[in-house]
Amino acid sequence: MRLTRLAVIAAALPAAGAVAIGEKLQPFKLNDVSGKTMDLAGLQGKKAVVLMFIATQCPVSNAYNERMAALSREYGARGVAFVGINSNRQESVEEIAGHAAQHGFAFPVLKDVGNVQADHFGAQVTPEIYVYDPGWVLRYHGRIDDDRSGANVKSQDLRNALDAVLRGQPVPVAETKAFGCTIKRVAQ
Amino acid sequence: MSAAGLLLAAVLAGQLDAAGVGRTVATQRGRPVVLALWATWCEPCVKEFPALEAMARERKDVAFISVSIDEPEDRKTLEAFVAERRPPFPVYVRAAGPDQAFIDGVDREWSGVVPVTLVYDRDGRRLGLLQGEHTRADIEKALARAKAAR
Repeated sequence: MRLTRLAVIAAALPAAGAVAIGEKLQPFKLNDVSGKTMDLAGLQGKKAVVLMFIATQCPVSNAYNERMAALSREYGARGVAFVGINSNRQESVEEIAGHAAQHGFAFPVLKDVGNVQADHFGAQVTPEIYVYDPGWVLRYHGRIDDDRSGANVKSQDLRNALDAVLRGQPVPVAETKAFGCTIKRVAQ
Repeated sequence: MSAAGLLLAAVLAGQLDAAGVGRTVATQRGRPVVLALWATWCEPCVKEFPALEAMARERKDVAFISVSIDEPEDRKTLEAFVAERRPPFPVYVRAAGPDQAFIDGVDREWSGVVPVTLVYDRDGRRLGLLQGEHTRADIEKALARAKAAR
């Protein structure tokens, strides 16, 4: 019984090292694929900030390339900043740059050397999304939508979160899960 | 049915939803269980598969169960993979349904990342949740905890 209770409590808590819904964004700096340093503090004033842990080789992340590009164009025009973050140790800056160009990403993709930010956020998979409101408070964490193939989407989770944040309303479903590829971290 | 078809039918163990996964683990009571969830599109899953097979061949005191989360469109790839490897444990396929319900139904602490390996003691208590790439040594450690918890 004691173990069961402990398990229930543990399940309700965020993973160690993970950011939680309602928590403020701690701005960080990372280099983009051109080697230029991007300071997230420069995004203050945006109506929302979307951080997307993505990959070049993960079939799940790649299934969302077109949707990520389209969402960033659509919501970028409405004052939302999109930022891709690649924390996979085996995916080089050159590979990330080619991948972003190939798929028409209009958003910057930052290289998270040593998976420092993946560890800070507690990001586990690609793609994995974090949405911050204008006050830089985390309002949504999870998947882009509920169908990897894109053919049978029933829940547009990222879109729903952004629409709510832009209206200044609570996000209807603040946390979601989906299958994804593991972020390939550096050896401990 | 062809010989290859018979072989395949003997290795692929049917479809499971999250409740079915729980029941399948529960039927193993009396032995620790290693439950591996994986997919053919998942490179680290495929990479660690041989170690899981080797372990299952050696550790007869442990029940090994695997569940593929491959999508229906990946079915041929899955069948070919299983037919070629003939793993020494049942390979179930996740039944169609919402991802999140399956993930939370299997284990609320699972993020959805694959591979994931869950280790249960002989009473069905989950004592290990290995998310992402892990080695045989990691699984053995979790099994040792399962034994110690007895």
